[in-house]
Amino acid sequence: MIKRSFFSLTQPRLKYDLLEADPKAPESIPIPPNLILLLNEALDNTKSIILKKGDKVKKGEKLSLYKDSTEYTISPVSGVINVIDTYSDDFGNKATYLVVRNDPQQASGEDIVKYELTDDIEVADQYLRTLPGAPPLKILASKENTIQTLVIMCTDQDILSTTAQYVAQSTMEEIKEGVRVLKRIANIMKMCLVVSQDTNMQTEFDGIQTFRVSKNYPSALPAMIMKDHLNMILPAGQSPEDVGVAFITAEAIVSIAKAYRTKTATYEKVLTVIGKDGQRHMIKATIGTPLRRIFNAFSLHINEKDRLIIGGPMKGFATYTHHHPVLPDMDTVIIQDRDLIPALSDNACINCGKCIKICPANIPVNLLVRLLEADQYEEAFDKFDLGSCIECGLCAYVCLARIPLYQYIRLGKHEFLKLKADA
Amino acid sequence: MNKYKLTVSHAPFWHDGDSLFQMNMNILLAALPAAIFGIFQFGASAFGVLALSVGSAMFWELVMNMVSKKPLSIGDLDAAVIGLMFGMMLPPITPWWVVITGTFVAVIVGKMIFGGIGANPFNPALIGMAILMLSWKAFFDFDTSLVDFVFDFTELAPLAAIKFQGAGAAEMFSVGDLFMGKEVGAIGSVFGLGLVLGGIYLILRGYIRWEISLSFIVGIIVTAFIFNMVNSENYAGPLFHLFSGYTLLGAFFLMTENSSSPVNTIPMFIYGFLGGLMIILMRNIGSYADGTVLAILLLNLVNPLIDNIRPKALGKGENNA
Ligand code: SF4
Ligand code: SF4
Repeated sequence: MIKRSFFSLTQPRLKYDLLEADPKAPESIPIPPNLILLLNEALDNTKSIILKKGDKVKKGEKLSLYKDSTEYTISPVSGVINVIDTYSDDFGNKATYLVVRNDPQQASGEDIVKYELTDDIEVADQYLRTLPGAPPLKILASKENTIQTLVIMCTDQDILSTTAQYVAQSTMEEIKEGVRVLKRIANIMKMCLVVSQDTNMQTEFDGIQTFRVSKNYPSALPAMIMKDHLNMILPAGQSPEDVGVAFITAEAIVSIAKAYRTKTATYEKVLTVIGKDGQRHMIKATIGTPLRRIFNAFSLHINEKDRLIIGGPMKGFATYTHHHPVLPDMDTVIIQDRDLIPALSDNACINCGKCIKICPANIPVNLLVRLLEADQYEEAFDKFDLGSCIECGLCAYVCLARIPLYQYIRLGKHEFLKLKADA
Repeated sequence: MNKYKLTVSHAPFWHDGDSLFQMNMNILLAALPAAIFGIFQFGASAFGVLALSVGSAMFWELVMNMVSKKPLSIGDLDAAVIGLMFGMMLPPITPWWVVITGTFVAVIVGKMIFGGIGANPFNPALIGMAILMLSWKAFFDFDTSLVDFVFDFTELAPLAAIKFQGAGAAEMFSVGDLFMGKEVGAIGSVFGLGLVLGGIYLILRGYIRWEISLSFIVGIIVTAFIFNMVNSENYAGPLFHLFSGYTLLGAFFLMTENSSSPVNTIPMFIYGFLGGLMIILMRNIGSYADGTVLAILLLNLVNPLIDNIRPKALGKGENNA
């Protein structure tokens, strides 16, 4: 953990981690006997479900809960569905998880599903959404917003992770291939590539601009890239796709390239796993692999009260179970020792101003927090710029009173959107 | 299916390690040189006043915590800071009951009834001072308070001297003496060098906002300089004002109290400068010898208005490309 320096007249600087010069190839984790797949749709007792316990599934088969579902997941193995149950996330949003028992016997040649991928983004969206890197095909295929600019992220958004950099560096040729596919299937006017300032990655592309972002967090967050490199200020309360910009990871582009080449899906996700000793392990695991398998493979220990962080230290989330599966967009997993977990408090804001100094979006966090604590979301949005927050987490990182500011802000946004939707 | 329970909480999972306790500890530490100097200069009674002030401030907060059935908050040392600041503003000989009444007003009226730490619109220690000065003016006459002391420097409180004898009296005090604490005054306000060192320490550590201290000092110097230029017979020079009375205590410890001061850049400069300006106006035109206490309280009062001047948030208004 990076502590404030003894003298801190200037801002603390959180820096992105740079991929080492000569990275080792990721170690592959064998496919586990049971895989856990998340489906972004809640179980609904009033509808008749088309997936059942005991159903046989094929490798590459598209799985949805209901006939009219738009959400799906793809089974990375051939086998049998063992469990269908509810999963709820941080905010109490409901989703569903499936456990698929892997049956290697079943996975003979003709049991692997081939996709009819035509040069149409909507067809791609039918099959490729849950590929490693989680391609934003839903956004690209959406009729509501036309995406004019696609930003390919060859750098990591949160600190500590080097997954995106590794994938980008090791698969440049496939990224080019993926760009050609996307140009063919989607009508995107402009594509650009984001790399870290200090990388020596070769990014020579025809007709694609390369942006170099600084190594200071949060310069690689979408809103910051738009501001610094695209000269677009994200209007308060809107997401990049609302203004025609989409972000895609290098890994997702590569997945698309492979899918179009082979007409099948790929399932191996690259991720950085960081143990308590701070040691980084680059691994490759099949989507759906329970994290426990990975920890066992590297003898990484977790004890009572430790924290298991998915995503980075600034923007990630903590899971309550080591059975949590590898997900298509999971770049980093961190085991944080319980002794290193910073204590939060229920202090009130003391108006120290540290959050104001560090906030990249000029948000009056000291005033905002008072409204959020009082559940006044609308006023928080209208008068105190809740919608402008780019969700970097820096305010909570420095808060002297140790208020969980970032959580308040995320919850506030969530509640506000709910209010608006209900109105 | 889980063998053990993991800690589940929310991002960010890192913190820079700072806390209220750290901050207050550092403020106490930074105030020590000036406080200890005061004890050496004025003797055991000064120590008694400081100890009683800190102790009683913490005691009042504890009582209030228990009465209102809130979690105990004295551990964050905020009450200790209020107590020390209050004690440092007192003359070395102050009756015990004045001290504990003062800390009562400071902690209970100045802080707790507004909702505790962070909710006080005024600097609590100054609230305590203001009430005492209105109620028992006589105890704050440094000259009578110290009449039994013998010093090897001018035995007159500098600001009172110029108030009653005119600016010419300022010549009795060399700026060097004032800076080095060779003056009659409050326990913690005489040792200019100590206050400046403490202040610089806090600025470097990031525990006070330099914008406020700097603009406050500029406000003092500029205003006093203009007065002095216009009429040097009636008005003492800028350095005299800077190093006498509560000025330096104000610059680094009082104006900068978090909850009652602005956090945005331009407001901090305005607030600091106006603070300095008000003090000199009160000293030169008003009827007060010092004026620091009331001037800062006045600025606390307008702070919410000043702090409204803030930059546009990302994606709002004119920065919208
Ligand atoms: S998370 Fe905090 S620091 Fe970051 S943009 Fe939002 S309010 Fe500002
Ligand atoms: S950092 Fe925390 S305590 Fe300080 S002003 Fe911001 S919200 Fe308040």
